Amino acid sequence: MTLKRTVLAAAALFALVVADSRASAQTPADIEGGKQLFNGMCVECHGAGGAGGDAPSLNRPRLIHAPTDAALISILTNGIPNTAMPRIRRFTDNETKQLVAYVRSLGKLAEEKVPGDGRKGADVYKSLGCAGCHIVNGTGGNLGPDLSDVGYMRSASSLRQSILDPGAVLPKGVLQIPARGYAEYLPLRIVTKQGGEVRGIRVNEDAFTIQVRDQAGKFYSLRKADLELLEKQAGKSLMPSFASRIKADELTDLVAYLSSLRSQS
Amino acid sequence: MIGPRYIALAALVAAALSSGPASAQVPYDRIVKAESEPASWLTYAGGYKSQRYTALDQINRQNVTQLRPLWVYQIRQAGIIETSPIVVDGVMYMTEPPSTVTALDVRTGRPLWSWTPKIPDDVVIIGSPPVNRGVAVLDNMVYVGSVAGHLTALDSKSGAVRWDVAVDDNHLGYYLTLAPLAIDGKIIVGVSGAEAGIRGFIDAYDAKTGKRVWRRHTIPAPGEPNFNTWGGDSWKTGGGSTWLTGSYDPELKTLYWTTGNPGPDWNGDNRPGDNLYTCSLLALNPDDGSIKWHFQFTPHDTHDWDAVQNVILFDSQVNGRPRKLVAQANRNGFYYVLDRTNGEFIAGAPYVKQTWAEGLDAKGRPRVKPGLEPSTEGVTVFPSISGAANWYSPSYSPKTNLFYQVAREWSTIFYKGEAVYKPGFGFTAGGGRTQNGDDAWAAVRAFEATSGTLKWEFKLLSPGFSSLLSTAGGLVFGGTDEGNFFALDAETGKPLWDTQLGANIRGIPVSFAIDGKQYIAIGAGFALFVYGLP
Repeated sequence: MTLKRTVLAAAALFALVVADSRASAQTPADIEGGKQLFNGMCVECHGAGGAGGDAPSLNRPRLIHAPTDAALISILTNGIPNTAMPRIRRFTDNETKQLVAYVRSLGKLAEEKVPGDGRKGADVYKSLGCAGCHIVNGTGGNLGPDLSDVGYMRSASSLRQSILDPGAVLPKGVLQIPARGYAEYLPLRIVTKQGGEVRGIRVNEDAFTIQVRDQAGKFYSLRKADLELLEKQAGKSLMPSFASRIKADELTDLVAYLSSLRSQS
Repeated sequence: MIGPRYIALAALVAAALSSGPASAQVPYDRIVKAESEPASWLTYAGGYKSQRYTALDQINRQNVTQLRPLWVYQIRQAGIIETSPIVVDGVMYMTEPPSTVTALDVRTGRPLWSWTPKIPDDVVIIGSPPVNRGVAVLDNMVYVGSVAGHLTALDSKSGAVRWDVAVDDNHLGYYLTLAPLAIDGKIIVGVSGAEAGIRGFIDAYDAKTGKRVWRRHTIPAPGEPNFNTWGGDSWKTGGGSTWLTGSYDPELKTLYWTTGNPGPDWNGDNRPGDNLYTCSLLALNPDDGSIKWHFQFTPHDTHDWDAVQNVILFDSQVNGRPRKLVAQANRNGFYYVLDRTNGEFIAGAPYVKQTWAEGLDAKGRPRVKPGLEPSTEGVTVFPSISGAANWYSPSYSPKTNLFYQVAREWSTIFYKGEAVYKPGFGFTAGGGRTQNGDDAWAAVRAFEATSGTLKWEFKLLSPGFSSLLSTAGGLVFGGTDEGNFFALDAETGKPLWDTQLGANIRGIPVSFAIDGKQYIAIGAGFALFVYGLP
């Protein structure tokens, strides 16, 4: 009896959830309506197509402040404190729904059919020693980016590029410099006025100081006034290119493995 | 029958109400002479000339390294501090976002009173975050504008409301973020809202009653001069907001007020012509708001280059002749010097990388390059959509005759969109994608004020919103988006002192003195920091 009730209750809940999701289904008309609203109210800061402007880009699958639609609606109605994002309390429920539909449509990467064998790719990851510098699901070294969710954040072609030419496009976004778009893991070569040399990656920077981590993980806090040379090596990466060390099918498999890393999806 | 007690009370009330000029705390004449009273900070930019300069020199090049925090005031509701505090007779009047006024004891930072206006849930704020840049003081009142579109007069001792007026209909997108300007018996304000297709104006209100004395629209109506610089009905939604505090010359009896972009921002198809008086400087008669002369920096703007940046008044020799001048580092990337008696163009030059104009002609009009208007595909132009300059304050030192400005080096890919006007909604028709990261940067630059020739620069990391304060102690104070509060040598730009305030600095620095001791105040993050010598 109790079991039966539970099952019934669960079935009812399921029906409710299904009905709910149907009610909030996003139609092409919603997306188009949302685009109109976006172009009127959001585009000045967030750029056309959510490509970014004075405010962050929104054409990403996972928005840091808005992982869920509810969070996105909350931002629209309340703003984000200590940022330029104002609250916008003028939308009707339908307009909010349309705007959410449009913003979400910006972040939906066309589902790529990634070729290759992810299980073999995991072996390639291991044999190339990637875990020496990268964490996947809590395991690995911390010199490079955590890859636990990289399949969600990056396209297969972008992953391929990072393996073959890591310096071409450094990741951007969550560096502690408050302004946007600073390259993370930017290699630096620094010579102090005392003649000391530091090579490492930029952790943070302002007009007067710079924070650096070297390959051994040692942290340096330096004042720019004390430096003879501060060379920002744009286009380079501490990660070596694997172009000459990986066969074509291994590369395909490795990309398939990395694409499968979606811990939060 | 009225008892003696009531008669005594009536007499007391009558005495309290008779606050004539004799007992006024900050009479107009005191503001006129603000520069000779550096212990106070009496207007938004430190005086009618808007020089953001203090004659105080106790903190100077020799001892600036000894600066230390004296007190910190934490605001009550999270938001962006863009305020320039007023300081008078031991009290600081600062604003907190969105439109709160707080009076503080300048010795300790302890609040004396605070007043928050009613902001309706459906308030329309399009084009900026919900911020406030400060108050005006006159006689015994403090004046503040709100994002709900109101102008309110508060009793300076208690914060009680003396009067409150709706400047215009917030549902149509009119709102206030600027610090009002108090002149002789009048309070002058402008409005924000060009991104909602408003028709901008500058208003004067009777300081005692709140009755509107005049309104000067920034876009002419049919039959008025320069109406022909608009097409069709475009003048009705033409923008031209007036969202920063102007300057004033009491001798010339002239108000200098600047105007913002035309609407819609990035699509000029339906507004052919120069679109006067958007992106302009207006010289106004303070008695009736009539236009004495105008100068348009960016005719037919399609890049959102509001010209609202503070204009600084100063007197200097030009070609051996003493001239009364007005100068601005414009959002469009050019620095301009005009004769403030008649608007004559004296000098102009780019102060950042700019790609949209070949230069300025003999009258200061830009020689615009073709093909750089926003398009559906996108067009890259320097400076960016947010500009070489923006609302943050420049400074001028009469000691060095240098104009100090944070100059921002960045571009935007400008897009054109469809223009559909709907009252109270965005009317921008496009947008942009702006350079960021290490590709975009800024510098504190010092120009020879009469020519715009670069004297020195100090590089900053990112193009933030950094206001500057110059001092008789030979210093230029400023902040960065990375939280650095710093002092440079006003003559050379050499960094002399810096500290980390832990959040982006959007507050506007001011200086004042109490008990013979000089203070520097600046807002950062959710707090106002006050520094001084030990």
